[in-house]
Amino acid sequence: MSMVSFQHFPIYAILVLFLGAFVVTAFGRKGTVRHVVAMLCASISLLLLLALIKPVMIQGETIAYWLGNRVPAGGYAIGIALEVDALNLFFGLLVTVALFVSTVYSLSYMTHDEHQAEYYTLLMLLGGGVLGMVLSGDIFNMYVMVEILTFSAVALTAFRSKVYGALEAAFKYLVVGSIGSTCILAGVIMLYAQAHTLNFAQLSALIPGNMTPATKVAFALLLVGFATKSFIVPFHPLAADAHGAAPASISVLISGVLTKSGLYGIIRIVYMLFGTMQLGAIQLLLVFVGSVSMFVCVTMALAQHDFKRLLAFHSISQIGYVLTAVGLATGLGLSAGLYHAMNHTLFKGLLFLAAGAVLHETGTTDLDKLGGLSKRMPHTTALFLIGAFSISGIPPFNGFASKWMIYQATYQKAVESGNIGYVLVTVVALVTSTLTLASFVKVTQSVFFGQLPKELENVREVPVGMRIAMGIFAVLCVLTGVFPNLVTAYLTEPAARAALNALGYIDSMMGAGYAESVMVTPPAPVAVSFAASGVWAPVNWLLLLCVALLGITVVASLGKYESVSERSGERVAAKYQLFYGGEANWDAQVGGGDLFWGFKHNWRHYFDFMHALHSGIVNDYAQWALVALALAVVVLQIVL
Amino acid sequence: MTMFLNALLFLGYILIYPGFLFCFVVGMLLSGIDRKLVARMQKRVGPPICQPFYDFFKLLGKETIIPAAANRTVYLLAPLLGLAALVTIQVLIPVFRFTAFSGVADVIVILYLLLIPALATIMGAAASGSPYAGVGLSREMVTILACELPLLMVLLAVAKSVGNAMGTGLCFSLSEIAAYQSAHGSLLLRPSMIPAALAFLLVIPGETGSHPFDAAEAETEICEGMLAEYSGKPLGVYKLSHAIKLLTMTSLFVALFLGGLGTGVTALDALIHVALCAAVTVVTVSFVHAITARLRIEQIFKFYWTVVAGLALISLVLAWFGL
Amino acid sequence: MFKKLIEESTGKSPWLFHINAVFCNGCDIELVSVLTPRYDAERLGFQLAGSPRHADIVVVTGPITRQSLNRVLRTIEQVPEPRCIVTMGSCPQSGNVFRGSYAIAGPLSKYVHVDVDVAGCTPKPEAVIDGLALAAKILREKRRAMN
Repeated sequence: MSMVSFQHFPIYAILVLFLGAFVVTAFGRKGTVRHVVAMLCASISLLLLLALIKPVMIQGETIAYWLGNRVPAGGYAIGIALEVDALNLFFGLLVTVALFVSTVYSLSYMTHDEHQAEYYTLLMLLGGGVLGMVLSGDIFNMYVMVEILTFSAVALTAFRSKVYGALEAAFKYLVVGSIGSTCILAGVIMLYAQAHTLNFAQLSALIPGNMTPATKVAFALLLVGFATKSFIVPFHPLAADAHGAAPASISVLISGVLTKSGLYGIIRIVYMLFGTMQLGAIQLLLVFVGSVSMFVCVTMALAQHDFKRLLAFHSISQIGYVLTAVGLATGLGLSAGLYHAMNHTLFKGLLFLAAGAVLHETGTTDLDKLGGLSKRMPHTTALFLIGAFSISGIPPFNGFASKWMIYQATYQKAVESGNIGYVLVTVVALVTSTLTLASFVKVTQSVFFGQLPKELENVREVPVGMRIAMGIFAVLCVLTGVFPNLVTAYLTEPAARAALNALGYIDSMMGAGYAESVMVTPPAPVAVSFAASGVWAPVNWLLLLCVALLGITVVASLGKYESVSERSGERVAAKYQLFYGGEANWDAQVGGGDLFWGFKHNWRHYFDFMHALHSGIVNDYAQWALVALALAVVVLQIVL
Repeated sequence: MTMFLNALLFLGYILIYPGFLFCFVVGMLLSGIDRKLVARMQKRVGPPICQPFYDFFKLLGKETIIPAAANRTVYLLAPLLGLAALVTIQVLIPVFRFTAFSGVADVIVILYLLLIPALATIMGAAASGSPYAGVGLSREMVTILACELPLLMVLLAVAKSVGNAMGTGLCFSLSEIAAYQSAHGSLLLRPSMIPAALAFLLVIPGETGSHPFDAAEAETEICEGMLAEYSGKPLGVYKLSHAIKLLTMTSLFVALFLGGLGTGVTALDALIHVALCAAVTVVTVSFVHAITARLRIEQIFKFYWTVVAGLALISLVLAWFGL
Repeated sequence: MFKKLIEESTGKSPWLFHINAVFCNGCDIELVSVLTPRYDAERLGFQLAGSPRHADIVVVTGPITRQSLNRVLRTIEQVPEPRCIVTMGSCPQSGNVFRGSYAIAGPLSKYVHVDVDVAGCTPKPEAVIDGLALAAKILREKRRAMN
């Protein structure tokens, strides 16, 4: 295929989703029509972006696409541009994969809901909005797409409006989300007033080196705006409510995709638009916010009693990892952060889908009311465990590979910069990882293992479609964990290179030589090193594990033993009942809320403080947003 | 031909030395020495040193009851996976200059691999459905949380200290740390590393769940906690894993802090290694066991996050400033 | 060879589970004293297990009352084979001074096969060790019979 046809792929990928939204609205009264249309749109969009991997990721080309062929003239970029380099494509791939799986899942998951045509319309709009946002080469279009995705996400949060709290969650999201969108718009306006252009590449050439106090305010506004979209601290309470109320297939998109769009925005503006990433203060700022996010949200997650709220807090905790790694501004850090962003989409998607499966069959996600589902839903349990091990960073799953890189990156950064504060980040990251494990042990124990409550005796396994959707994520979780070298070589490292290559970005959009002609000090090409000091070879380790397991099994089967006894028949003999000090079966499930007392007791003051802080009142959260904005403005004025 | 020999060597490493067979024999011996010594310290005669072997083989011959409430697959698979993971850790830990498999995992990975056996036990316990196991796994998880922080700080301090000396800034590779020590003497001789070594010694009983940090398996209050529903062969495998974990943790200590005592002769080194492991076991597990009573779980957590983590922090800061 | 090893080991590593049917606590204290430095039954491999699933020998003390009968039987049932049942003290054997009470369900041997009776109120530690050693021997025989 010639290069020209590739040029059109990004716009097709976006258009097909928006078109799909219209088609579903118009003809979606019939179930099959809307299912076929939704599946078609999601898969076409995915395939189009997959086809771009070879030219963009491997051959390193950058696609600059001008709508209506309005290429820049006279040094000004007036037309609307789409720009696809490795970084955009990386996020675009995450979006389309998550959208595809979410659509597959929705087909069976949403069968009992009303207004399904509207659901698929909003789903396509959400997907199209995020995809448009990450592929856009124009900051105003980014804002427009942010609005589209925010409002479709708000509508989808309230989609099950009969569920308790759905409308309230949507309202909170609307209020604080609007503050974020307004910040972005205000930032865009201030940039436009200064540079008279909205094109990202041109802005990236004009703004660095010409920082005025107004530009710094714009920087703060954009930073806070995109931070709202990625729900990092102090915007995290929204996510918990939104995830708790939204259908699981939407939670996948909110956590896997929407937060990524915010992250993408942050990466683009700090690395490229303002070119500030080499400043130690900005690095510290991002690392600080990231570390606080990961720690605060993991402790919040540990205290939750609802499956989906727990996952929601973890989602932000993992975003904290990504932000921390990205904030290090080293090649390894950036690559690790992007790797973790990808893994987060995969495992968190898997976990949300598993939570949805539990909700679908049992009608509740309350950790204290569930238990013993592994006997009724064995496949869901197995898939959930893969997701849980991935997010907790158990080797050889994908979460471990990226977290390991993050530890390496933070510690290397500490050694290189001589700043002992970064060691603290390594420690916080590892403690967070262990706390994540703890809270997933809690979910496993209180939902899938333990005793089956009487009310749930008739629970069955979820439909095949939902299991397939979860299976896709699970397979990807394992593959990206076992082959980290391939992932870094073909996905994250090109993306990291692209993020650090401001000059190439500007020139590919505005024509070669533009950056040198305009910029006061053209950004020097950053020497990128992706080398980690440690070693981790998952394939070799797996080989060792398999041989050891095989050896043990062979040795174990050498002797002849009694066969394993199990219960037979319906009535369970005393022998196979659980031991309760001689009593017959009691309902004595150790619920989620009862676990980890030893930890919670030691941290009780902290938990009390957090409890008091998270009032659930939207006014408070709006205030937090404004305080964060004010702080960002002041801090950036000082440090830049 | 060479490929065949290599494959044979590979199998030998995993299954015989320093893999499964070595782990089995030495781990059980360490456990036996521990029990014997504790008995002697309490003025008892104590069981024979090979008592753990008897216990293990007896358990192999017992009936395995799977409770009706349990998830059969996880219940049976968890102990095997935990054991296999422990064996893989053991083959990754260098015995002085000899490393069976270098270039597979560094110390941070080892830290995570150590989670797998504990997690396997937790999953098996959860799968058994017992409420005692539920309480036990809650405590076990808190113990893991407690130990993880000081252990990480010890590893970071060692990585920094060795890295400083090698001029690379930091060194995460276990075999490089071992090679450095055999060239320049044990890290324990370095004053800045003594607090870290102490912290590690205190982590060992916590990681292996021995007295006074055995709230997770408190047999008198929560019926052996996580293992409450296990019987027969899986229980035997757990007991074996417990013994091997003792070996793994002590080997890690020897590899990190006493790596300079090797002679260069592989067979002799293996003996010295076992002797050192036994010595470390006696110091950290048996002595502590004999003179303390069980702590409550929140006391365990507090102890590790204040005293032990503080010791590790001292080393980390000292290493940071190049001492 | 493996079978032989297991059989040998079964006799050398009997783990006790102690069921207290109803207590005056006399026998219970004496059972614990068997494990103390003076008598040290651990040298023979005896160990107190926390859960019946781990046990080889069930030691029942105290009279079997109507309240405790089902619980004792259920717990005994939950011990994996091969297992031995030892009654300690006169109470579970005859009812002792409680015999004839409306609350007493009768001797344990009426409900389940008892392997060893250690009589006395309370039995001396030496007698208990002797009974337990006998139980260990029976345990080994049972294991051999299973082959």
